[in-house]
Amino acid sequence: MSLEQYVANSIIELAPVFATFYLVALGHSLFEKAGLLDLAIDGVFFMGSSIAVRAAVASGSPIVGTVVAAIVTMLLGVALAFLMTYLPISHGAIGLSMMFLGYGIGIIVGYPARLEVGSIAMYAYSEGWAIAIMAISIAIGATVHIILKYTKLGAAIRACGENPHAASSLGVNVLLTRLIAGAVGFAIMGAGSSFFTLAWQKFWDPKSYTLGYGWLAFTVALTSGRHPIVLMPISLVFGGLIFYRVRIGVMYGVEKDVANLVPFIAALAAMLICYATKLKKVLAPPASLGKVYYKEERTV
Amino acid sequence: MRFIVVRRTKPHQYIKPLIIVLSLLTGMILVAILLVLIGAHPVTTLVTIAYSFITPQVVKDMLLLTMLGCALLISFKGAVWNVGAEGQLYVAIIPIVWITLYAVPWSASSPPHQQVLVILASITVAALFGAAWGAIAGALRAYVGIDEVPVTLIMNYVAYYLVNLLILGPFRGRYVYGYIRTDDLPDAYKLSINIVMQRTGNAFLDGFLEFIRAIVYYAYWVLAAILVALLTWVVFNYTSIGLRIKILGSNPEFLKAVGVDARKTILTALALSGSLVGIASAIYYLGDLTRLTYPIQSQTASYGYLAILVAWLSMLELPLIPLSAYVVSSLRNAGRNMQIFGLGGLESTLILLGSILLTYSTLRFLTEYEVRVVK
Repeated sequence: MSLEQYVANSIIELAPVFATFYLVALGHSLFEKAGLLDLAIDGVFFMGSSIAVRAAVASGSPIVGTVVAAIVTMLLGVALAFLMTYLPISHGAIGLSMMFLGYGIGIIVGYPARLEVGSIAMYAYSEGWAIAIMAISIAIGATVHIILKYTKLGAAIRACGENPHAASSLGVNVLLTRLIAGAVGFAIMGAGSSFFTLAWQKFWDPKSYTLGYGWLAFTVALTSGRHPIVLMPISLVFGGLIFYRVRIGVMYGVEKDVANLVPFIAALAAMLICYATKLKKVLAPPASLGKVYYKEERTV
Repeated sequence: MRFIVVRRTKPHQYIKPLIIVLSLLTGMILVAILLVLIGAHPVTTLVTIAYSFITPQVVKDMLLLTMLGCALLISFKGAVWNVGAEGQLYVAIIPIVWITLYAVPWSASSPPHQQVLVILASITVAALFGAAWGAIAGALRAYVGIDEVPVTLIMNYVAYYLVNLLILGPFRGRYVYGYIRTDDLPDAYKLSINIVMQRTGNAFLDGFLEFIRAIVYYAYWVLAAILVALLTWVVFNYTSIGLRIKILGSNPEFLKAVGVDARKTILTALALSGSLVGIASAIYYLGDLTRLTYPIQSQTASYGYLAILVAWLSMLELPLIPLSAYVVSSLRNAGRNMQIFGLGGLESTLILLGSILLTYSTLRFLTEYEVRVVK
């Protein structure tokens, strides 16, 4: 195999992995940029990937799977953003609860599809889609970056994340801004998670919820400072690490569980590097991330 | 007409139990609705849930979850969210497997006191391992500033794969009939009392006797649960670290203002919490699990995650932990009894867990705030 062919094959192989991690981390970042702590990520990841399978099998089209997953998770994002902004409640507790609920709903939604068709490969994206999926993911990321950096809405989202009270006094509608961030962020997460089952794995199993890939996407977002552009290379590195871990393991005679362990150790190490070095300032989370937004009297 | 959220001037007398009851009802109703939607009979579903509260199977789970709930309470009281009990539970089993199967294996010629010494050593070392595992997340939060929630969760996966590697490698059993698991714990080290009871033919009486049998079987667990709860009570009421943890949870700025090292308190809270998980882990392994089967993430009963629900549902009140553990055990039992697809009730358990926690987390603000209707 020539070098060009090898590179081309690698890109095709890695594209769905990249798209999965990139989009899930991107949506998560957008949500958190608005000051909303997202600990539901792993449950939403599994739920989105399961909904996508069910919708793809029902409709016969992976595109429908992706769209339905994005819509359902978008509604969830709106609900979470509403609860976290409107009521003085713990973002962490709500997120963790949603994580468990996401696992449960994911199993209930996904299992009948597997019983019905056995293998989901014929309902998944073909290899020809790989580059398109990667390109669309990059385009979405670039759009989010432009919105966040150059538009009024982006400034409002960032302001809500840094200091929602100050943003409110300057005329920003904190609730509306967070609802938009929640809707768009979770829709992107949903689309990304659909690529996990429909483009990367082409397989669904109820026990997939124990994989913890949502937490790896969480780490990707954290270590790239929730920046849409910085997310790209880090998603590629983590995606590559996960995708090639078993292959590298086989090459060097390493146990499968060592290969499974490596991404999680890498995630902890990445967090440590980001927080223990000067990168901490550069990659600092929004100042009001996860903080209860409460004004003494609130109309609900 | 509009609704406003205002801070309460004085606490509402019944709001805490009301929130708990509402959360439980919501969880059960949601699961019932889901089951009905996919074809189950609503009455059968509700009867199954109700029946699950009075079956002897709840005894084991309740005792274990009481211990784990107390363990999590230690850190939760300080607003240090140890959601890594699942990993701590399995990591703490590692030294016990080594001690009981390799370091001091039981044989016919073993002296009688070896039994007691090995069991005590297992519990002690498990506590130390649990503490060390918890302390890693504690140190990262206290000295580096990394949120303990993702760290403890990620460490659960690290623990799973680490234990898997040990099962595949040095701990792989010799007498396992081709299965990938560790050898069984020698009978001499088992913490359970087996008794045989004759069936009377009377359903009510037999049910009651089954309860008695379960309590006798897990008598050591009863003792351990009482000791762990007592230890937790002593920590919070008679030790300076307990007081510091409580202040860390309610007013961390005050803690810093009076010169207490908040970082050490965070570290200690997670280490203490991990050590109690370790004790629970030893009791669980020696009394029920007795071997580790590969892959552990597919075999786990998720007690570490259920314990989060126990601690939260107790409103972080120690006296409510056993009650909360009983409710969660019964719900888990209900989940198992309501198998939808033959998955062992996993999905029902997760939905119950998630919806109860979600309702609880949403309504919990009512303990400090009230919603008023104004014109």
